[in-house]
Amino acid sequence: MKQIKVGLATCGISAGGEAVYQALSSRLEAVKADAELLETGCVGMCYNEVLVEVVDGDTHHLYSHVTPERVERIVEEDVLGGKAVEEWLVSGPGVDREAAFFDKQKRIVLQNCGAIDPGSIADYLDREGYQAIRKAIDDHTPEEIIELIQASGLRGRGGGGFSTGLKWKFARMAKNEKKYIICNADEGDPGAFMDRSVLEGDPHAVIEGMMVAAYAIGADEGYIYVRAEYPKAIQRLRQAIAQCQERGFLGKGIFGSKNDLTLHIKEGAGAFVCGEETALIASIEGKRGVPRMRPPFPANRGLWDKPTNINNVETYANVPWIVRNGAEAFASMGTERSKGTKVFALAGKIAKSGLVEVPMGITINEIVFDIGGGIRDGKAFKAVQMGGPSGGCIPASMGDLNIDYDEITKTGAIMGSGGMVVLDETTCMVDVAKYFLTFTQNESCGKCTFCRIGTKRMLEVLERITEGKGREGDIELLEDLADKIKSSSLCGLGQTAPNPVLTTLKYFREEYEAHIRDKRCPAHVCKALIQYRINTETCVGCTLCARKCPVNAISGEVKKPHTIDPDACIKCGLCHEVCRFDAVVIE
Amino acid sequence: METITLTINGQEVMSPLGKTILEVVHEQKLDKIPTLCHDPRLEPYGSCFLCVVEVKGLKKLVPACSTLATEGMIVETDNPRIRSSRKTALELLLSNHYADCIGPCIDNCPASVDAQGYIALISMGRYQEALKLVKENNPLPLSIGRVCVRDCEAACRRQIVDEPVAINHLKRFIADKDSVHMWTPAVPEPNGKTVAVVGGGPAGLTCAYYLTLRGYKVTLFEKLPRLGGMMRYGIPEYRLPKAVMDEEIAWITGLGVEVRTRMELGRDISITGLKGKYDAVFLAVGAHRASTMRLQYEDDTPGVLKGIDFLRRVQIEGPPKFSGTVAVVGGGNTAIDAARTALRCGADKVAIIYRRSIREMPAHEEEVEAARKEGVEFHFLTNPKAIVREAGRLKAVKCLKMSLQEVEGGGRPRPVPIAGSDFDLACTTLIGAIGQQVDTAFNESGESCELERWGTIRADEHTLETSIPNVFAGGDVVSGPWTAIGAIAQGKRAALAIDRKLRTGSAAGADFHFASFKHHFHDVTRTELADVTVDEKRQHLPELPPKERIKDFREVEGGYDPKQAGTETRRCLECGCVEYYDCMLRRYADEFGVDTTPFRGEAREYKVDHSHPLVVNDPNKCISCGRCVRLCTDELGIAALGFVHRGFRSVVRPALEKSLLETPCVTCGNCIDTCPTGALSEAFPHKVLGTLAKEDKPSICQFCSLGCPVNMKVLSSDLFHVANTTAEVQAGPNKGLLCARGRFGHRCLTEARAVTAPHLRQGKHLEAAEWSAALEEIHAGITAVVDKHGAGAVGVFVSPSWSNEAQYLAQKLARRAIGTSRVGSFAYLQAPRALDGLNPQMGATLSTANLSDLESADVIGVLPGSMGEESLVVEYLIRRARKGGARVVVLGETGDRMAALADLWLTPKKGTAAALFYALVNQWLEAGKVNARQPAVDNWDELRQHASGFSPQKAAQATGVADDSLQQWLETFADPGKAVVWLVPPDHDDGHDAALPAMVDSMLAGGGFDRAGSGWILLDRHANSAGARELGVVPKNGADLKTAVTNGELKALVVLGEDPVGAGLLKGAASKLEFLAAMDRDWTPTLERADVVLPAVSLAEEAGSMTRCDGVIQTFQPVVPVEAERWNWRVIARLGAIFRDGFGHESATAVQAEIRGAHPLLDEKRNEDFRGASLLAGGPIKGEQFHFACVTPAAAGSEKAPEVIAAERWFKENIRTK
Repeated sequence: MKQIKVGLATCGISAGGEAVYQALSSRLEAVKADAELLETGCVGMCYNEVLVEVVDGDTHHLYSHVTPERVERIVEEDVLGGKAVEEWLVSGPGVDREAAFFDKQKRIVLQNCGAIDPGSIADYLDREGYQAIRKAIDDHTPEEIIELIQASGLRGRGGGGFSTGLKWKFARMAKNEKKYIICNADEGDPGAFMDRSVLEGDPHAVIEGMMVAAYAIGADEGYIYVRAEYPKAIQRLRQAIAQCQERGFLGKGIFGSKNDLTLHIKEGAGAFVCGEETALIASIEGKRGVPRMRPPFPANRGLWDKPTNINNVETYANVPWIVRNGAEAFASMGTERSKGTKVFALAGKIAKSGLVEVPMGITINEIVFDIGGGIRDGKAFKAVQMGGPSGGCIPASMGDLNIDYDEITKTGAIMGSGGMVVLDETTCMVDVAKYFLTFTQNESCGKCTFCRIGTKRMLEVLERITEGKGREGDIELLEDLADKIKSSSLCGLGQTAPNPVLTTLKYFREEYEAHIRDKRCPAHVCKALIQYRINTETCVGCTLCARKCPVNAISGEVKKPHTIDPDACIKCGLCHEVCRFDAVVIE
Repeated sequence: METITLTINGQEVMSPLGKTILEVVHEQKLDKIPTLCHDPRLEPYGSCFLCVVEVKGLKKLVPACSTLATEGMIVETDNPRIRSSRKTALELLLSNHYADCIGPCIDNCPASVDAQGYIALISMGRYQEALKLVKENNPLPLSIGRVCVRDCEAACRRQIVDEPVAINHLKRFIADKDSVHMWTPAVPEPNGKTVAVVGGGPAGLTCAYYLTLRGYKVTLFEKLPRLGGMMRYGIPEYRLPKAVMDEEIAWITGLGVEVRTRMELGRDISITGLKGKYDAVFLAVGAHRASTMRLQYEDDTPGVLKGIDFLRRVQIEGPPKFSGTVAVVGGGNTAIDAARTALRCGADKVAIIYRRSIREMPAHEEEVEAARKEGVEFHFLTNPKAIVREAGRLKAVKCLKMSLQEVEGGGRPRPVPIAGSDFDLACTTLIGAIGQQVDTAFNESGESCELERWGTIRADEHTLETSIPNVFAGGDVVSGPWTAIGAIAQGKRAALAIDRKLRTGSAAGADFHFASFKHHFHDVTRTELADVTVDEKRQHLPELPPKERIKDFREVEGGYDPKQAGTETRRCLECGCVEYYDCMLRRYADEFGVDTTPFRGEAREYKVDHSHPLVVNDPNKCISCGRCVRLCTDELGIAALGFVHRGFRSVVRPALEKSLLETPCVTCGNCIDTCPTGALSEAFPHKVLGTLAKEDKPSICQFCSLGCPVNMKVLSSDLFHVANTTAEVQAGPNKGLLCARGRFGHRCLTEARAVTAPHLRQGKHLEAAEWSAALEEIHAGITAVVDKHGAGAVGVFVSPSWSNEAQYLAQKLARRAIGTSRVGSFAYLQAPRALDGLNPQMGATLSTANLSDLESADVIGVLPGSMGEESLVVEYLIRRARKGGARVVVLGETGDRMAALADLWLTPKKGTAAALFYALVNQWLEAGKVNARQPAVDNWDELRQHASGFSPQKAAQATGVADDSLQQWLETFADPGKAVVWLVPPDHDDGHDAALPAMVDSMLAGGGFDRAGSGWILLDRHANSAGARELGVVPKNGADLKTAVTNGELKALVVLGEDPVGAGLLKGAASKLEFLAAMDRDWTPTLERADVVLPAVSLAEEAGSMTRCDGVIQTFQPVVPVEAERWNWRVIARLGAIFRDGFGHESATAVQAEIRGAHPLLDEKRNEDFRGASLLAGGPIKGEQFHFACVTPAAAGSEKAPEVIAAERWFKENIRTK
């Protein structure tokens, strides 16, 4: 029997996946096809959604950009006829249009994503699922597991990059009859969706990772703290936990051992700071989600003051693979101090946006150009923003940088949880800094003076710079404040909030200076600093711009060059967009 | 405890492990690390980041308040990086602080006179205090109150609503009030140093005044015949009567200033000479030389005068006779003064010529208006061009019309002549009043000071020291012609600088004072002041009608009457902050020299919440430190306050931004004390007095037996309030926390109507009388009753909140002087066992555990009953103990928060709790765990017998307590060796009267009563109940006393500090008294009914001692002293002495010595270490044996205690009802 899989992770759904699924369902029923319709997660090619795969034994036909209208032909020709619809095919026998996207990837965390039905525990079990926890319990002491994870070199994928094995060891060493494990799934960076995809595409891998961790540290209760904005992920997790309970994988004496484990899901209300571990713990306890001073670290005093181990989704998802394949296999990938792979969410001005998993040590250029297909619309590559609001911008000139924790940190950015926003020449770096600072400013919990008011004042300085009201001394004021905010904030949010400003100042200082001194925005982004003008030589007088202008600022006779009244112009940019002759110029 | 060694600022220090860096540094006094968010009573938090320090090896700065000190740590607590970070933190906080520290009025006054402060004092009728406040910065309010240019009013926010507050008129009002008997400051002993002040104007007089008050011998030199400077010779009589000014000058010189007039600098004296003779010199010779109009014939035409010369001459020689037209040139105050004076000299017409328009005129608007009313003509945009003479005599002044030209950069517009616009203005006199200059002739002989380009003396901006060391200068001679208040400001500044210079060798001093102002953020608008009504308009001064005025030089304006002054004070918007002196944020801003300018931007703005009658919440001032939230929630378990919003907008407010009144707020006000700014403050019944400095004075709360330390913020003898902000009170067992009674109840001392003098009954009325007469009358009244009915017909009652000295002497008065044993307290008339309930068992009724034992207790038990208002503090003590590991057991149907604190909460049926204790005894007896030391208890057999009837099953049956709960109860107390402290609520015998003796039986049997750390604490509603018990204010038989009162057996009463009439206890037969003497602080029905009334003082006014619930004796000193003869115990001693020779006592020490001698319990050093247990360990008091009570559980209600203490009733009626 043929299997037809529809990518129904959030990216697939937002591309119209559910309508495609419905269309397939009714069509298959109508033609009484001998085929099974299934859901699957995100394979990473978000730019190709909706993806539909027709599987016939070993033969796979993967279609991209499927719409309900295309369903009939696919069912007709492929499902019933056994012949691929060539022109819509991404891959199939003899066809591999996306080879470049996958060639340099190495999939550990994402190995099942897009391949299995995340709602089926059987699918997971078919792919060595829950072998790692059995192996851990049957063959290893908790101490041995901790040693194994330490030897693998796995570091926290949430952004901190702390040795996972060491973290487990501290929690193991803390003396208490009650311990907790927590999975941090409060993914909050703008543009980042690695955790969501993993939870939606392979929830059991995360649960299994938590089981191993619980066994290693001696915890019998755990929480998955997941943001309420991820309904699909929550649904998948609930389903997966229920399945585990049914099979006795969770509860008393799991896998025949003396170990108990209960897992709860805690839905976070979407406060970014709750991704910080002490704030997250406070939030689970029902308190205001505000960080506290560390030490004491959660490993000693965590949830309800009990020793607690907290890792993020991707970290846990690595664990089963490591236990199954051994520390060495994992450590063989990557650089000296950063092992294994890293999942990145590619976004921004890149041709192929989506989810990729690459071995540590790969260069930025390889990701941007080889995997991501370069910059959209043939524009020039300017920088990548890594690490979200806590991260920074790395300029194109450093594209050969090998990605690992320490190299990235040296640039002033951070590895972070894996958000990678690609910027092109039309991006204003002051504007980028302002964007990220606006985000952190809104998400500051308000506890620490420097983070609460300092970032607000920095933002006000950036605002005035982009409004053309920048003053001499503003750059120094930004640097001084940034330094103090970094050194005098309680949690990571405040300590890293100035990074986007500092890295853009470090690599693109002249852009700030142009704004302040010349009242000019080199990327033509800051409205207060640009003007739209019609080039009389190229304008053919088609009148399109004048008709589109929402404020009637453009005048001119038909077939004669038009002009823009700068006083009336609101700089919406519509004329520039619609002009087919590139006659509207920005200066 | 493990000890660590670390290095702080290069010094190796040792500390127990587990302390934060801040704790180590502060405890060992290594540095004063600033902090705003830290309160030692709360868990470490870390939000303000003021306390950052550097730890070697860490790149970041760390908050000292929440970073644990660890072994080998190397810490630096102060360096440029740390200071810079702290300064920026303060600047950021203050950049989001939409609030005023002081009123704009104070800020805009050159002399920084505290206008808001004196207005507040005037509003309360405290005129002299208001005047004293003015004189802290301005010693010439009589004069200034008439002539000031009023920069304060120019800045007054009230003008946004209607018109500014008439600040200067109010100042004049208090100065006039004072002028009859002027208040005289204390002048210290001469310090042996001398200062010469040259110039007797406002600057010189001011400098002389403040130097005199600092012990300097000042000699004041004046060139002219009399003192006053420009105020005398420049301001006409009708504005400033010189007789008024002379009063003020005489008041200053009368303090010991030597005055030498007709001494001109440069002629009679020289700088060099003065410098040689005096330790310092202050030059304030003014700017008296008139500027010229630069017209031909100006100096040699009769009838052409100079303004200031003219005014001076009028002053010295009297007014000349004018006729015809007088033309005055100029637009300043001198021109107006000259014009109005000319009118009064008989001129037919007076015309003012001014080259700009009325808008640019520097003269005060009201002066211009007055001149207009009097008939002065104005020629604006006109300039004199030439003097027109006829036969050498003045005929006219030729004038030109002018037009105004805008000046680039926005200065005053420049007048430009209009060609051909000449015209002649015929006049008989022409007065040029276009300005004055410094006459620098003084500088031409001997040593000379460096001068500025304009001829003024060059002086340091801050110290006013000139180029010659120890020679200072101020007033117009430095500033050029300025205002009188400007001269006064410099006079005081110079006095302070001279004082510093002569004391320390350097005139420089730190005078940076940060102040936040709303108008630094944006203009304050009418919208923000929407709540301000305009019912009360600016009060105007009465003035003479214009036609009357110009006839002579009488003062034109009169002063306010008190009613007008009161109305005007109500118009003040009280911009300045109530916490000005206590605000930590502002204090640190001073210390770090904060400047918020670079960080000005958006600020949060909130409406101030005034809806709560006792607490004001101004979120604009909140720095989000969360101290109040943490205290209210974590420590007190109330959670009335919380954070709302996140990030920049986060602020402390009641949940959902409701009003505090809609929260569980219990009005304890502890949030006010912990708030480091003015975000939470007390709502006072009077105007805000925040800009006035107050003094901290420790005392003891007079409201219940916990005896919590309170700190009084004292402004003056009868104005103070409770603010537990000092480290001293926060070190008490209550950690400075108070309940509503403790915090707001003391307001009765400043608000209630106090008895000021003894009174004697004359028929239906009470008439004031002398002390001796009143005391004699009491003696006569009592003696008459004794003679008729015997001494037993006399009762003496004393308040259980009076001091030990008073308790002791009151019972002595009864027993020794009068000879009656009927002594007690109306407070215990219904429940006498509160005073002697344990006597049958213990031989004494007292607590055996100490409040500090709670912290180390294994188990804390609470007997049935209600804690009342003070529950809050008890709960806090219990909550702290729980954190330390204590298990809390609560008995009874206590429905309040106490039950929520319980680890084990049992609700035995009313009256049956005793069964639970005998079940314990039964358990111990069976396990052989009874008191190993077998103390002297005489009835062990009876106990064995009694307890055997309380098996767990039977106890469960009797009490209705579920089996498993009973099991937990038995387990909790299975080991009698645990440290157990039982708290006995004040009304424990209200239906549970068997519980206490049963609990005591269990402690006797288990041995818990004689072990340090274990025992019970008898709590009581009244502050000195323990003192009353122990000092014998207990009748032999309580029931007998009650009967004697109710059946009218008592014919004469001496009632001290209680109000039985108001409480309804003297009704029927009891009311048929033949004689009643009553003593209290406030008028009560009892006092109004009495034959003799004596005024009592409050605990805040006398010294003495009180015994806390746990037996610790606390002494107290007067907060606001009154004469010692009026102290309550001294009055009783005086009364006793009339009855019996040798009764009286000279000193508290003597009384205390006698008390100790008289009472075995007190013959022991009583301090924090005192434990009743140690006394009882040796055996029962009376040499008898202890005795098990073996009570039977049964419900037996007793009547509710009536409210007999005026302060308590005041609290209920005035605070609780709010």
